Amino acid sequence: MSGSRRRFSSHLVLSQAAPFIGFLASMVVLVAIVIFMRESPVKAVEAVYKFALSNAARLGAVLSISIPYYLSGLSIAIAFRAGVFNIGNEGQYFVGGLTGALAGIYLPMPAPLHIPVVVIAAMLGGALWALVPAVLKAARGISEVITTIMFNNIGLALVNYLINGPLSGMAKGVSLEPQTRKILPTALFGKLNGFFRSLGWKVPDYVYLDYSLVVAIVMGAVIWFLLFRTRQGFEIRAVGTSTDVSRYAGIKVQRVQVGAFLMSGAIAGLIGLQEIFAIRGFYTYNIASGLGFDGIAISLIAQNHPVGVVFSSLLFGFLKQAGYGLQLSTKVPNSVTYAIQGLMILFIVAINAVVVRAVRSMRRKELG
Amino acid sequence: MDFLLYFLAKGLEISSPIAFAALGGVYSERAGVVNIALEGIMGVTALTLVWGAITFQSVWVGLLVAVLTGVLVSLIHAVVTITFRVDHVVSGVAINVFGIGLSRFLCQSFFGAETQSKINPFLFPKLLGVNSLAFWLIPAVLLAWFVLYKTVFGLRLRSVGENPEAADTLGVNVIAMRYAGVLISGALCGIASATLFADKWITGMVAGRGFIALAAVIFGRWDPLGAVLASLLFGYADTFRIIFESRIPIPSQFVQMFPYVLAVVVLAGIVGRSRAPAWDGKNYEKGED
Repeated sequence: MSGSRRRFSSHLVLSQAAPFIGFLASMVVLVAIVIFMRESPVKAVEAVYKFALSNAARLGAVLSISIPYYLSGLSIAIAFRAGVFNIGNEGQYFVGGLTGALAGIYLPMPAPLHIPVVVIAAMLGGALWALVPAVLKAARGISEVITTIMFNNIGLALVNYLINGPLSGMAKGVSLEPQTRKILPTALFGKLNGFFRSLGWKVPDYVYLDYSLVVAIVMGAVIWFLLFRTRQGFEIRAVGTSTDVSRYAGIKVQRVQVGAFLMSGAIAGLIGLQEIFAIRGFYTYNIASGLGFDGIAISLIAQNHPVGVVFSSLLFGFLKQAGYGLQLSTKVPNSVTYAIQGLMILFIVAINAVVVRAVRSMRRKELG
Repeated sequence: MDFLLYFLAKGLEISSPIAFAALGGVYSERAGVVNIALEGIMGVTALTLVWGAITFQSVWVGLLVAVLTGVLVSLIHAVVTITFRVDHVVSGVAINVFGIGLSRFLCQSFFGAETQSKINPFLFPKLLGVNSLAFWLIPAVLLAWFVLYKTVFGLRLRSVGENPEAADTLGVNVIAMRYAGVLISGALCGIASATLFADKWITGMVAGRGFIALAAVIFGRWDPLGAVLASLLFGYADTFRIIFESRIPIPSQFVQMFPYVLAVVVLAGIVGRSRAPAWDGKNYEKGED
């Protein structure tokens, strides 16, 4: 056992290399694009450094952007682990954000209670929006890939209707943006910037490092514990590895998948909290969209591991800031970062497939 | 009577982007490769169509450019899923993300703006008041039916989606057939985007049609005729919405979500009676490597 474990660990190192090689390969493509657009790569690197890394405010901004990315990646990761493709976390966070906001607007209560209540309300909303695709998958075997995409569109239209109609809180003539009423002050997310400054990190007040960071850390820890330290987590991972083997082992595959699906939806419900409760203070249809799809890439790069997602979401936060830097200082448009993100996933999964196969044949040789 | 004819023609025009993409989905999935990249591929081909038409002052050259770019982008999906044997949905999602970035980047390079192109004055001729390309759908579906069920190529294509091991044993080149299925789907995405709005490219203009097409493939039981009929259902439902929207006393957002609700209801209703090709979405490894 100990011998095979030692051999295994060298393979493990190799199999962890795919994200790094994939990242480097996509950066090479980015540099090629910069050169193709007749820009100096040095200037581009300077722009990226200045915009994303040069001081505490920039680094703080990267961390701030990474918070919703982390929650999105975590949401996808837990579903992927159970073999579920939750492409619907986009719609789930629009709905979850609204239910959270409603709890923040219409349920007056003292602050220490109110914030956990809005977090739970957002999780319930997100889980609710995952419920129908989850049940259709379990009961009728309908691919969740299609139903969740449909539910994204249904959810967005529904939310748009609600905030224009019954839940509209817009004072006439004040703003053209359809929105809810203002969230009660007891539910708003305060900032942790003062806390970070007391630790010696000089992050200025305008950067949003708010309670959603705490929410993200707590959720990450909970999911890690669930996946790797509980029986339910073991079942989730078993189902994700092989539904057939799990079924023979007596695991109720459908129940496990529905559970993971709903959990994924619940975490997705939290993606919008930072923007709604810390930045805006009300809910609108115009909260940042696309974060749900980003989560798929973020989770894949981290090989669906809650700790790995920390790094991949920081990477995406960095890429986003880098994109702004490139757009402002060079001719390279911001959209390049999307193309690079897509390429990065393709590189990583392809390299990973090659590595997995190489490791398998190496082990077969070792075993003789 | 005129109105009825207009409604029928308009419905065909609105259905055809979904239907051509769904036909592409049928070729690809019959060969065993799930292609959820249809959406992203159409986004790119819709742009290259406009670029080709303006640059070469002919919409037909634009169509050719769109078909070629469709083949090129789908080639990425083919390489990643068939050669590298990556999960098909993962690759499709990545190509959809990549496609958004690529089309915006190309738009910036070609037209100096990121979210919309210049107006393209070179359009397809009109027939019954709609884009005549939409009527190509009829020969296209007949051709697809003939190719899939009446030719050796079609038999081989279906066999690698149904049982690649057996096909391989009988000497069918599984890899080549799968590549063919995916590349044909890319070419059809090019035609699909040409039946959209050829006069201008705007970011997000495909607006979920590629995904609706996937639902149509399932609803149509992976059959070209069935997939096109399902696409017509979605397309005519949408046409009805567009024509009668102002007269229906319900909020427009409910009308907007109608095709998606319809898709979910239809899927929930028919699955169980609809069976995917046995090897759809699964990678094939020849022996052990």
